[in-house]
Amino acid sequence: MKKKKILHRGWFGSGISYLYLTILSLMAAFPLFWILLSSVKSKGELTSNPTAIFPKQFTWDYYHIVFEQLHFGTNMRNSVIVAGSATLIAIVISALAAYGVVRFFPRFGKLMTRVLITTYMFPPILLAIPYSIIMGQTGLMNSLVGLVIVYLSFSVPYAVWLLVGFFQTVPLEIEEAARVDGANKLQVFLRIVLPIVSPGIVAVAIYTFINAWNEFLYSLILINNSEKMTVAVALKSLNGQEVLDWGTMMAASALVVVPSVVFFMLIQKKIAGGLAAGSVK
Amino acid sequence: MRNRARFAKKATEFSFILPALLVVLLLLLYPVLSSVFYSFTNKNLIKPDYEFIWFENYKKILTDPMFWSSFWTNVKWTAASLLGQLLVGFTGALALNRIKRGKGLYRTILIIPWAFPSIVLAFSWKWILNGVSGFLPNFLVKAGLCATAPEFLSSANLVFPTLVFINIWFGAPLIMVNVLSALQTVPMEQYEAAQIDGASPWQSFIHITVPHIRTVVGLLMVLRTIWVFNGFDIIYLITGGGPANLTQTVPIYAYNLGWGLKQLGRSSAVTVLLLSFLLFVCMQYFRLLNKWEKENP
Repeated sequence: MKKKKILHRGWFGSGISYLYLTILSLMAAFPLFWILLSSVKSKGELTSNPTAIFPKQFTWDYYHIVFEQLHFGTNMRNSVIVAGSATLIAIVISALAAYGVVRFFPRFGKLMTRVLITTYMFPPILLAIPYSIIMGQTGLMNSLVGLVIVYLSFSVPYAVWLLVGFFQTVPLEIEEAARVDGANKLQVFLRIVLPIVSPGIVAVAIYTFINAWNEFLYSLILINNSEKMTVAVALKSLNGQEVLDWGTMMAASALVVVPSVVFFMLIQKKIAGGLAAGSVK
Repeated sequence: MRNRARFAKKATEFSFILPALLVVLLLLLYPVLSSVFYSFTNKNLIKPDYEFIWFENYKKILTDPMFWSSFWTNVKWTAASLLGQLLVGFTGALALNRIKRGKGLYRTILIIPWAFPSIVLAFSWKWILNGVSGFLPNFLVKAGLCATAPEFLSSANLVFPTLVFINIWFGAPLIMVNVLSALQTVPMEQYEAAQIDGASPWQSFIHITVPHIRTVVGLLMVLRTIWVFNGFDIIYLITGGGPANLTQTVPIYAYNLGWGLKQLGRSSAVTVLLLSFLLFVCMQYFRLLNKWEKENP
């Protein structure tokens, strides 16, 4: 009798849960769908029938404009270069640091969490001021190299934080066995530990890449030459041009957001728990 | 001899964390100190020369009504956004934790906003809410809910709640996913035991779930408070602080001073005040978190 009651309550509760989650999912996904649909609807349709969901006439015109007239390909290339280099450098630095903290300075771990949270507290707008002064002095204004350096300021702390959680899962015994066989610390790290945590490192690398790809404020402040603009700032510069229609803006938006969403979906399971898992402590 | 070996060992160990330490020192600590330095000068964005004017910048800012209105807008913006994100994220996590089939699929769809670059977030919502040919205003008119298309982003009454809604849309998934993984660490046996003792679901929630996850959720809220309070992109890209400065927050006020009026020195002073305020708020948070950790290690 009692069991049946519990079962009933469970069924009712999960019914409501499904309904709630379905509503939330529709809201979460709508802007993405709307971007994609608006980017392939013919010009007239976008303004004459704003509530129609699917296009009557399918068109690739906006994508042609984005690549051929706005040369958005250059901006995408810039973003790949900047985000890719920043990720590569950040991951090397962070993997070493995370391993060092876990193995050699475990007591430093708690302090490090505090340090990371404190650096997280630094307002990007505060850092933007000295960055723009320093880049002006060193001639790195309007340079992708300058942007890569600046991006390390947020990628490294975040990557260290996430990676600590992965390195904590490597059992000490495996490393000790290798040490007995005469391998030095760096060899143990490269040949034993890295392969074990490589799935985690790949996930953190992709996450770092997405964050750099999405970044806006620093590239707004450090880059004003359209040849050197990353996708975020190039998109922003479209906004000022009244001649452009929403279809073109949505096509360019789709090119920026789709890679982010797809890659994020692939790694979400690994990243998402990071905060709740060991890395907090 | 032995000392030298020990030194070599320590040096190897230290070399692992050295590059990261350099990043923190050169790219984070040094710039913050230099911002504090510039906040006492009349540094201009374009001119290389500057003079010390000591507390002149701080005096000007703290007597500027615009600064204070930006500050209060910032506080309201952060409080409303976080409350909404926590509410939606938490209930979403509870619902996800409850269901059995389709969990992965729902989760994958629900995290989409998290991956949105701020510029695309701004464009897509500006397009959806556009007063002339946007989907939502036209839909509301068609459905008979509004007589005329509402101007979500230019009406003085609607613009703030609309921005908060967009920020909740963007931030709730992060809270949801982290709360969900915290929920999964709560041992099932405790719920079963409570149920046998006749506890209601609400009682189990308050006495088992909440104490278990509050440290993680608390830390999460600290991080989100910082993030939202410092946030620049969303408001800057959607309204630019308008209409009539109604949605201007402190980071946007600082940006306008530094890059609009070219007064980098005064802008630095604003950002230093911003950081000091955050440090103060976070210290209060940490005091609470430490207390919780002692009660429930």
